[in-house]
Amino acid sequence: MTEAARERARALTLRYLLASTAIFLAAGVLGILLRDSQADLGRLDPNFFYAVMTAHGLGAFVGWAGFACMGLSLWVLTSVGFPLRRFGAAMAELAFWLMLVGVAGILVTTLLLNFAASWVFLYPLPFHSAGQWGDATTGIFSASVLVVGLSIITWCAGIVHTVLGPALHAVRPTLGNRLGLALGLGYLAPRRFATNPTPVPYAVIPLTVIGIDMIVATLPLAVLLVIMIVQSAAPGVTVDPLLAKNMLWFFGHPVVYLLLFPAIAVYYLLIPRYAQRPLVAGNVVAVAWVLAVFVNVIIWAHHIYIDYPSGSPQAAINTAMQPLTFAITIPSALSLYSLFFTVYRSKFEWTAASTALFLGLVGWLLAGFSGVVNATIAFDAVVHNTLWIVGHFHHMALLNIGLVIFGATYAFLPELTGKALYSDRLGKWHIWLTFLAGTGAFSLWLIQGLQGAPRRFAVLPDRYATLTDATIPLVIVLALAQLLFVWNIVQTLRGKGGRYTAPQTEPAGAPAA
Amino acid sequence: MGRTATIIAVSYGVIVILSVAFVLTVWLSTRARDAGPDVALLARREKTWFAVSVVILVSILFATIFFTPYGKGAGAGKQVVRVTGFQFGWTIEPQTLKMNVPVEFRLTALDVSHAFAVYNADDELLFQVQVVPERTQKAFYTFKKPGTYEVLCFEFCGLFHDQMRATFEVKPA
Repeated sequence: MTEAARERARALTLRYLLASTAIFLAAGVLGILLRDSQADLGRLDPNFFYAVMTAHGLGAFVGWAGFACMGLSLWVLTSVGFPLRRFGAAMAELAFWLMLVGVAGILVTTLLLNFAASWVFLYPLPFHSAGQWGDATTGIFSASVLVVGLSIITWCAGIVHTVLGPALHAVRPTLGNRLGLALGLGYLAPRRFATNPTPVPYAVIPLTVIGIDMIVATLPLAVLLVIMIVQSAAPGVTVDPLLAKNMLWFFGHPVVYLLLFPAIAVYYLLIPRYAQRPLVAGNVVAVAWVLAVFVNVIIWAHHIYIDYPSGSPQAAINTAMQPLTFAITIPSALSLYSLFFTVYRSKFEWTAASTALFLGLVGWLLAGFSGVVNATIAFDAVVHNTLWIVGHFHHMALLNIGLVIFGATYAFLPELTGKALYSDRLGKWHIWLTFLAGTGAFSLWLIQGLQGAPRRFAVLPDRYATLTDATIPLVIVLALAQLLFVWNIVQTLRGKGGRYTAPQTEPAGAPAA
Repeated sequence: MGRTATIIAVSYGVIVILSVAFVLTVWLSTRARDAGPDVALLARREKTWFAVSVVILVSILFATIFFTPYGKGAGAGKQVVRVTGFQFGWTIEPQTLKMNVPVEFRLTALDVSHAFAVYNADDELLFQVQVVPERTQKAFYTFKKPGTYEVLCFEFCGLFHDQMRATFEVKPA
């Protein structure tokens, strides 16, 4: 790898991390406003509540977690010997600016122009604003989300270009062979998918899957957004609402994996590093990832299990998607096995970064189980659109993905800046407080959901007030913990932790068996 | 909390306890500075775990798929209730239903997507179903107790979504 390529990836990753962290802080403040308002501590005007909810959802999910994971992927690939080449770097650069423009558009249309149709902007709600915003605002919002979608597609193009490049060391460099190799088929059929001299690092596999899938998943959403932009100017152009729901969720589910699969790549890279031994994984993990690349884009309907109108095929589609959704848990089940048993009885080095990653695995495990509840139609009929769902995805987003981002930030920031982390101890406080307060707050949401508390209510019925109030101290601790993170990052960037010297060994990527 | 919610709560509670025990075992194992496990053996056992995972998932599938609410009917002698959702209210015709007589709700929406969620007097969520514009959705339920039942909108529909409520009565036949 040339020093120029490494420098390119370093600068890009640092930029992604800092920008996404800024969005995280803004989105976090919006989240606190929402929960405080529900607890009647600074009640927001109803439309502003829902505008903040829209900005918080898109800001935290895509503008922070998605954006950060996109950036971390660049450094993961570089770390396992897959540097961005000229095209990949150009795509990553373009994706960065598109994301910033898109997120800025979302913030302006929600917080300043009152667009408040939630992050799923369920068609045709954006055109039925009850007098709170105009169709032009819907058009600008749709265009902003479209730009975010273009950012994702652009990033995917850069990732796919990188993973299919010469770093694969494919013996037979045809496109099909390289694709199979990047999906991990070399672990299943080493003769057919031969490499020389090293096998494909495990971290490359989930990034290949998501790079392909998000291109497929984003295109129908882009079509829906274009139609909405046209409708904002020409009201006669409309879409069937049920079809629009399907198009939205065709993107809306895989985008979860825009966060999860890069996070898994980070785990695959860093857990072996801290355990000081190779990843405990065999060849069957390749089966799971090949399954994932197909199944990931055909399970959207589990988000609309409760839609089954007469005369539509929706009930049949939904029924088919329960087993398919179960299938997508296989990569998680195998990855959790690999990662936990890589830690098991290892000489695990407990730093702030590795603690974050370990607790992230715990969050992934627990949120994964609540996800199986959502994936089951008979159970979803009870928890759908309740606070159970909010508890589940916050658990997954903050206490799995978020902890990976924090852990990777603590691990990578010294590599990216040449400056040692200011305080590992402060980092551990941040991680533990985040984990404990987050687990407490999100567990209360799960309980409220099982009690029947609906989500997306500016004012919840009084019967749910006790647990809503109980989350406030936990949310405050969660927020204060993030100040420790910010202080640690700022001090690190100021060089207060001293110079960083990179270790010489990198035990990642090779199979254990 | 209803029966299904209780099943979820107990199952999830048990799995959380087991998970915490497993995680603590892994965590504490890193204190033992011995030679470590046979990593190659653990990697080979991934296949066993794969098989176990598939068996567990297939078991959950078969244990639950028959409780899917699709394709049900109210049968002969049913009561038909027409429900229309709109920003930000419901019309429910008739307003008074008979106890122990199956009800077929026929639901549609005038403007945006809504969801019809019904609670009993104990604030227990009985069932919910999405209501999409330009479509008719059916839902079936037999009320076993007399009283006033509350309806909330369970799909975000705009400014006064949280105030989109209604009630109907159930009386002995």
